[in-house]
Amino acid sequence: MKQPNSVKDMGKNPGEPLAQINQYEQIPLPPPFDKIDEEPEFAQLSDAAREKYVVLDDTIAVNIEKPKTKEEEDKLVNGFLSGLEKLFSVDDNWTFLQPFEMSMEHCAKCHTCSDACPIFQESGENELYRPVYRSEILRRIYFKYVKKASPSLHGDIDLNWETVARLIELSYRCNLCRRCAQTCPIGADNALLSREIRKIASMEMGIVPKEIHDDGSVLQLRVGSSTGMTPMIVKDNIEFIDEDTAERTGITIETPFDKVGADILLIHNAGEIMAWPENPGAFATVFEAAGLSWTLSSDAIGYDGINYGVWYDDVQFARVAVRHAAIAKKLGVRKIVLGECGHAHKALTVIADKVLTGDLNIPRESSMVTLRDIIRSGVLKLDKSRNDFPVTLHDPCNLVRLMGIVSPQREIIDAVVPEGRFREMAPHGVENYCCGGGSGFAIMSGHNFKDWRHRMTGRRKFRQILNAFQDESMDPSHMKYVCAPCSNCKGQIRDIITYYDAFEKAGIYYGGLVELIVNAMVDVKPGFIDWEWH
Amino acid sequence: MATFEQGSVSITVDEDGFMMEPEAWNEDVANALATTEGVNDLTEDHWKVVNYLRDYYLQFGVAPMIRKLCKQTGFQLKEIYELFPSGPAKGACKVAGLPKPTGCV
Repeated sequence: MKQPNSVKDMGKNPGEPLAQINQYEQIPLPPPFDKIDEEPEFAQLSDAAREKYVVLDDTIAVNIEKPKTKEEEDKLVNGFLSGLEKLFSVDDNWTFLQPFEMSMEHCAKCHTCSDACPIFQESGENELYRPVYRSEILRRIYFKYVKKASPSLHGDIDLNWETVARLIELSYRCNLCRRCAQTCPIGADNALLSREIRKIASMEMGIVPKEIHDDGSVLQLRVGSSTGMTPMIVKDNIEFIDEDTAERTGITIETPFDKVGADILLIHNAGEIMAWPENPGAFATVFEAAGLSWTLSSDAIGYDGINYGVWYDDVQFARVAVRHAAIAKKLGVRKIVLGECGHAHKALTVIADKVLTGDLNIPRESSMVTLRDIIRSGVLKLDKSRNDFPVTLHDPCNLVRLMGIVSPQREIIDAVVPEGRFREMAPHGVENYCCGGGSGFAIMSGHNFKDWRHRMTGRRKFRQILNAFQDESMDPSHMKYVCAPCSNCKGQIRDIITYYDAFEKAGIYYGGLVELIVNAMVDVKPGFIDWEWH
Repeated sequence: MATFEQGSVSITVDEDGFMMEPEAWNEDVANALATTEGVNDLTEDHWKVVNYLRDYYLQFGVAPMIRKLCKQTGFQLKEIYELFPSGPAKGACKVAGLPKPTGCV
């Protein structure tokens, strides 16, 4: 295993990777995937990519071209420094100044966070991925170049383009899961530091992975959704989903659009509509059966709850959040309910408090709570025995660790899954591990990034899933359900199941939470969950 | 961004091999792209999928929902995976000259 010896290595040998992982030295998985030499081969970066872009480790996320002139080198350094200075200004950093400053000033280097970080652990404790390795570089730059403090107090660092470029690339080796922040005895948030490095890169330097910016928030602001769906297409697709769902359930539904004065504006992650249509179909079935007054919006952006800005850019974030609230205001709804999407929860229910003031500050609620209340009301007739298969639950970081929504989804599972069929992952709840797709990783796949993600971030979740089912037969005909109430997590879990061929080899299937409810509804034709791979 | 060349075909593709200029697509391009997906011979069934994707994309500027693709072509998803081993989004869309899917899909 190749790894850096010191933070100063970041500024040396720009063409050489600082860290490399040998896949055969990784921690083996539980059975039946315990033979490490039978695992898929880690795809290598091409020589052309290594030649053209800044090299950090085994992969590339951001595509920062190596500077060709002294001016380009200086631009990287000066841009970074100017962005860093702005992070300490109340006018420029209106989102995170306080926790950022606190996290920059106070780190005792106790390394408690190292044990909590799944990437550091799965890497075999490679120094490059140690949470404070990244933070220490940023702190040293801050103390030396922004605060002009003596390096003898806080440690020295040479600020050159190699360090800046690699630090930006390194900010995309963190899922922003915030287990480090959770465990820190003094409350320093090293994940926030990763996020703020991304923010400097995007807002001051225009450096950002295209999947989350050009093909993400920019596309959403331009056409209405990062999936590319325009209002006309989304209405057409939902009409199709209504028909398709009715065929499966035997219950006719018509999803309401733009209903002025409805109680609830439901905002899905639009990826559900494109890739997991049974999820919006199940929501409509449950909401209609419960007699809720609800609507979707067909206004651009109003039908896509995603807000990729939370991962990297405050202005992109604010543009989308304000649009969501303005649409809700226009419809005159009492509250916004967010579908099964973790980062949409973080964006609109938590961070948006910074921008939604006055009559834009419309109440926002998690669908976990809405669905739990429906279950509690007793309005749905449920037959648990229809979900007579092993179920485990993934806790999306933004819903659970960030917001503390732990019990509603479990109360629902308790009502729709027979006794003895549900098993928790270890650890779970607020101490869960990220699916591995957090902070944009689930949709990033340039070069061999997908392989790096499966090896370094998704592997821990896959390990947890396999461990949760260890008391069950791993025969593929014995179907097992991983419930992941978040589109991003679902996409990542789908990818990792595919990578290890775990559906074909071990009968491991995945889906959302609301699908389990519909699958147990007595009024619905049996077999809503069809176990068809998708 | 890279150039993909095979026989008389020369097109610009992204890092995952998706076309950067979908308007440059033609049947020869489809045949050439298919080989990168492990499909050496495009049968009538392959074309049924490719043509549906292509028509939908030209009309709406975006890929269809996967379930719509299945319903409209009459193929089960399993059969589409048999036709295009890396699946409808990454395999079939690539051969049909669509850009890489975007968003949380």
